[in-house]
Amino acid sequence: MNKRKFVAKRSVSWRRFEKLLDRLDTISLRKFSPADTAEFSRLFRELCYDLSLIQSRDWGRGLVSYLNDLVSRGHNAFYSSPPGNLAHVVQFLLVGFPRLFRKNIGYFLTAAILFFGPLGITWGVVQHDTTLASRVIPPEQLKMYEKMYSDPDTSSSKEDDEDEEDDGSGTKDWRKDPNFMDQRSLMAGFYINHNTTIALLCFARGILLAVGTIYTLIENGIAIGATAGYLIGTGHSDRFLSFVVSHGSFELTAIAVAGGAGLMLGNAIVHPGQRSRLEALRVRGLEAIQIACGAAAMLFIAALIEGFWSPAVSIPNSVKYAGGAILWILVFVYLTTAGRWEEQS
Amino acid sequence: MTRADADPEGAMRVSTALVIETPENVRLTYRLAGPATRLLAYLIDLILRIGIVVAVYFFASFAGVVAGQGVSIGMCLVVQFLIDWAYFGVSEAFFRGKTVGKHVFALRVLQEKGYPATMWGALLRNFVRGADNLSFFGVGFVTMFLSGKFRRLGDLVAETVVVEERRVRVPREPIILEKIRPLSRNELGSFVPSGQTLALIEEFLGRRNVLTYRRGHAMAYLLARSLAKRLQYSGDPQQVERYPMAFLAAVYATFHQAHEKTDDDHDVADAGAEPHSRSRRMAEAAT
Repeated sequence: MNKRKFVAKRSVSWRRFEKLLDRLDTISLRKFSPADTAEFSRLFRELCYDLSLIQSRDWGRGLVSYLNDLVSRGHNAFYSSPPGNLAHVVQFLLVGFPRLFRKNIGYFLTAAILFFGPLGITWGVVQHDTTLASRVIPPEQLKMYEKMYSDPDTSSSKEDDEDEEDDGSGTKDWRKDPNFMDQRSLMAGFYINHNTTIALLCFARGILLAVGTIYTLIENGIAIGATAGYLIGTGHSDRFLSFVVSHGSFELTAIAVAGGAGLMLGNAIVHPGQRSRLEALRVRGLEAIQIACGAAAMLFIAALIEGFWSPAVSIPNSVKYAGGAILWILVFVYLTTAGRWEEQS
Repeated sequence: MTRADADPEGAMRVSTALVIETPENVRLTYRLAGPATRLLAYLIDLILRIGIVVAVYFFASFAGVVAGQGVSIGMCLVVQFLIDWAYFGVSEAFFRGKTVGKHVFALRVLQEKGYPATMWGALLRNFVRGADNLSFFGVGFVTMFLSGKFRRLGDLVAETVVVEERRVRVPREPIILEKIRPLSRNELGSFVPSGQTLALIEEFLGRRNVLTYRRGHAMAYLLARSLAKRLQYSGDPQQVERYPMAFLAAVYATFHQAHEKTDDDHDVADAGAEPHSRSRRMAEAAT
């Protein structure tokens, strides 16, 4: 077989295959007619044969690279994974994520200690001596927090009274604004953006030996603990706790979950086990990304709660505490039991 | 091809080629995309992303009058978050390993073993971007050069590579070959150049406009001189020296016909002939 003849003979099929590929660029393989799919498959195999034939003869690079590119495009289309749909997302959140979470619960527990440990300690210390809070958080920000959580009905401390006098009208307006719903949407958007970014960065930087992850976990733990201790220590406990109890369930847990995913990446390099470091990173990376996505979904829920439910003044605090308790139980039950029934079968 | 076969490792080390074997037992060669192209693709994506966020803010400031300022800004923040974290991953997962920037520069994300990137793989490599982009992507660039195959951290974890996708046409025979007159048989010895040599001549002539005139002729002269020696060419040696390309083309024209004739006899024995002619008929029927 001569090169010129070969090209003349086969280029019809090549052009046809090219056309099919161009069509595949605009529509998915699923919408291909059965005849087209069969033809695509047949032409693809023929092209593979042509390519290996040409590779065994020295007929010039031009022809080889032409067929190589054609076959690689075909390969890419032929072996692409089936597209996902909404059912897969639901399946992942209800079964896949909690299962992977339980499989790697050790990392979560470590991250939880790294996060809740500093949180609890700072909380206790700062509540005991509120002046310490300014060592962690700038005083202006503390003032702002205090303003946000000061209760207009029962001004308990002197500081509060002063605040109310200084800027009381402003605070009241903020809470009793007719456009309060509007404000909440703004805050929900902000929480989604801000909190989830922190959590995902916490995960991503885990790959650098988890240094970034551990730092983020401890830093956030201390900051949250100091804020909580300060506000409770200065007598805003009711307003503050009723505010945070609901969304804290999803938010704080999700931060520890994302941190755990980051630790998985970092630990794969430190303790690769029986695999090579790179291989360990890949195997655990595939699970870690799914856990991180689960954490991101939890933070979405948290942001919605934080934006719309937690700051609502019309809901009495007792209802908020009850709702918060239910949410904490819900998170616990979700992470510990979801997807178990399928595991057994 | 043959040299790469002999020492695939060595060939890999010096070239940007990625060789994979498909389930059909065919070896495919991809060209890996270097940091420069990828940076340009990233910049296009960056401009696009900023454009989308600005457009959404712009639109929201109008919508804000109707729906309330807070709602619109809140939505903007959500959009911004999604653009930040999901743009690359979702685009690469659902548009066969491409983003807009990658499409412009004909890049594609593949698994290292040649398969299209999976959804989790695409998400993972782009989440880890958060670590790669530390100090203006310094971490990413350093790992790209250290890891081989230009893989940044995200690629290492997700087992992906970025390849360049070329679009090439069916190679045509250079026009010069149809015009040139064959050499006279009287001027030649008994040596017959192999089909490989002829293919080399054809390809060299086909791509001769890549080189400058002088360089092209200097290179052609090397081949023409040794070929003339082997052929025991007794014609004008000045001709070989001054027009080496024309000489090469003449050699090709002389022996091309001869090869075609001997090949015809072997055609029956050629394994490829039978299924091909059948499939061609089917392809013709289909069109």
